[in-house]
Amino acid sequence: MSDVASIIKDIKDISTTILKKDITVVKGFSERQVEAIAKQTVIITEGVASGDIDEELKKFFFDGLKAMAENFVNTLKGILSVTLEKLYNALVDKLWSIVGSVV
Amino acid sequence: MKLTLKKRFLPWVLCAAVLSLSSCKTQLAPEYDKAIVAGLTDATQKTMYFFATMEEGTTAETYTDRALSYNQLIGAYDALSLQAKARPVPDNVATKKINELLQSKGSDPLSSDYPSAFAFTKISETLKKMREVDQADGIKPFALLAFKGQVLIFLDQAITYESFLKR
Repeated sequence: MSDVASIIKDIKDISTTILKKDITVVKGFSERQVEAIAKQTVIITEGVASGDIDEELKKFFFDGLKAMAENFVNTLKGILSVTLEKLYNALVDKLWSIVGSVV
Repeated sequence: MKLTLKKRFLPWVLCAAVLSLSSCKTQLAPEYDKAIVAGLTDATQKTMYFFATMEEGTTAETYTDRALSYNQLIGAYDALSLQAKARPVPDNVATKKINELLQSKGSDPLSSDYPSAFAFTKISETLKKMREVDQADGIKPFALLAFKGQVLIFLDQAITYESFLKR
């Protein structure tokens, strides 16, 4: 029969394996997005200063910045919901296999 | 080496642990769709090629050379948006419990508006605006860089999300 300590260890191992892999993706994505959004802001500012971007386009690009920041957060939430689903299902599998082994 | 969990992810782990005691396997995000990813890969390549053909900006006089490419790309992203939105939204006990938990913490619930579908719509809108400016006056270098940057940022969001759905 499984003891509490080994069940806790199994759950921790499952969680750590899934989280470690997914955090790498989240970190890479976040870094790329933050850098790209910062660069985009500089391009718009320089474009306005040089006259390449007029008032109407400036508003269009500022609205774009707002939308991309909002969707950056929503993408992170979407990714986390997949991670949560993987965690949840892996834990269900583990707990059910423990229950199944004693029934 | 001993691995430790990041503190900020502990609530998610606990939430999963609690939910796992109450029911069987669940789905919190839509299914991975190979057709969407294939369409996205194709559209991304065509978009990058399109931007590469006009690196120094454009003039209205040569707009007709690009009109077909604009229309094809806008059509491709509109189709991807429709495909992405057409997937059923997971609706189950686990999703409801998570949304209740998020709302009790002051966060927005998991959205039924997929981030990739939103990104496809925004890319289409960006290309439509680009087409309008190109046709009227041509696109100046900094404006072109900004259009390209906007498209690439939304593309990254869509590619990351759709790829991540492959569990």
